[in-house]
Amino acid sequence: MDIGESKEDAVFVLEPKGRLDSANARSFEERVLAALEQGESALLIDFAGLDYISSAGLRVLLMGAKRLQQSGGTIALCALSPSIHEVFEISGFLTIFTVHNDRAAALAAMG
Amino acid sequence: MLSFAEEMMLLLLDDQDGSFLPIPEWSMQCALAGAVLMDLALADRIDTDVNSLMLVDKKPTGDPLLDPTLERIAAAAEVRGARYWVENTAAYADEIREGALARLVEAGVLNREEDRFLWVFRSRRYPTIDGRAEREVKLRIMGVLLSDEIPDPRDIVIICLCDSCGIFNELLSSRELERARGRIDQVRKLDLIGQAVAKSVWEIQASLAMAAHPVY
Repeated sequence: MDIGESKEDAVFVLEPKGRLDSANARSFEERVLAALEQGESALLIDFAGLDYISSAGLRVLLMGAKRLQQSGGTIALCALSPSIHEVFEISGFLTIFTVHNDRAAALAAMG
Repeated sequence: MLSFAEEMMLLLLDDQDGSFLPIPEWSMQCALAGAVLMDLALADRIDTDVNSLMLVDKKPTGDPLLDPTLERIAAAAEVRGARYWVENTAAYADEIREGALARLVEAGVLNREEDRFLWVFRSRRYPTIDGRAEREVKLRIMGVLLSDEIPDPRDIVIICLCDSCGIFNELLSSRELERARGRIDQVRKLDLIGQAVAKSVWEIQASLAMAAHPVY
């Protein structure tokens, strides 16, 4: 899985592409943890290029959100496809995460 | 670290006398099935989405509580949903329960005592010898229920399983349960296998209720 990475002012953006499942959840987790260990405190995960997420992927998001909450940081998600939005709705993840329509809206809210 | 099946056993036993709490058998079976499936998921052997439970790696975990279920999933001819596997695994709940209890006895957490009822019927009790593990599980649960913190995956699992088999009625007072209900409802949705366990339990309860009060 290709994972894009960029910094937009104070917000660190990760952009996983394709599928986020058990095949690559560990490598995505490493990228999230590396960002947190670098001291990033505002993390945006841009789902624009993501087609699919499984429970393994959801667990990584939860772990990242928990770590950021404990350190006083923030996490947000943006650009969920309708199918991924449905997964978030069914799994109750919309009650945990702040979700924005697109990256611009997310950055405006987090900035 | 205890498996989820072992943690569930500790929560399903009465602290005072080591007997099983009055939990419906089907609920307990589904919860144990869910416990095994969730341990397999956290061991990266299976993965789930809203429709399917997928085999990720058929390599045995080395845990006899988990590997028989992993073998059945690996041998399946087609991919099925999490709910199918909850109900399939529930058929083996007696083995899972006995295995988990035997392990807890061997670890010195529980003692096993045989009783006779009316001189004929045997019953087993499992009084606690070392209550630290159970206290730790209960503290984890209460820590999540009484805060707004994001729970970690293990805490979500145990809360899903407890709610599915109605243990919270035993763990919490009715007032505490009323206060925690919203949080339990939020947390239990966060795991798709947990949702499958809850649906299986609910369906059986609904069909029993229909049988008791048929609509003509």
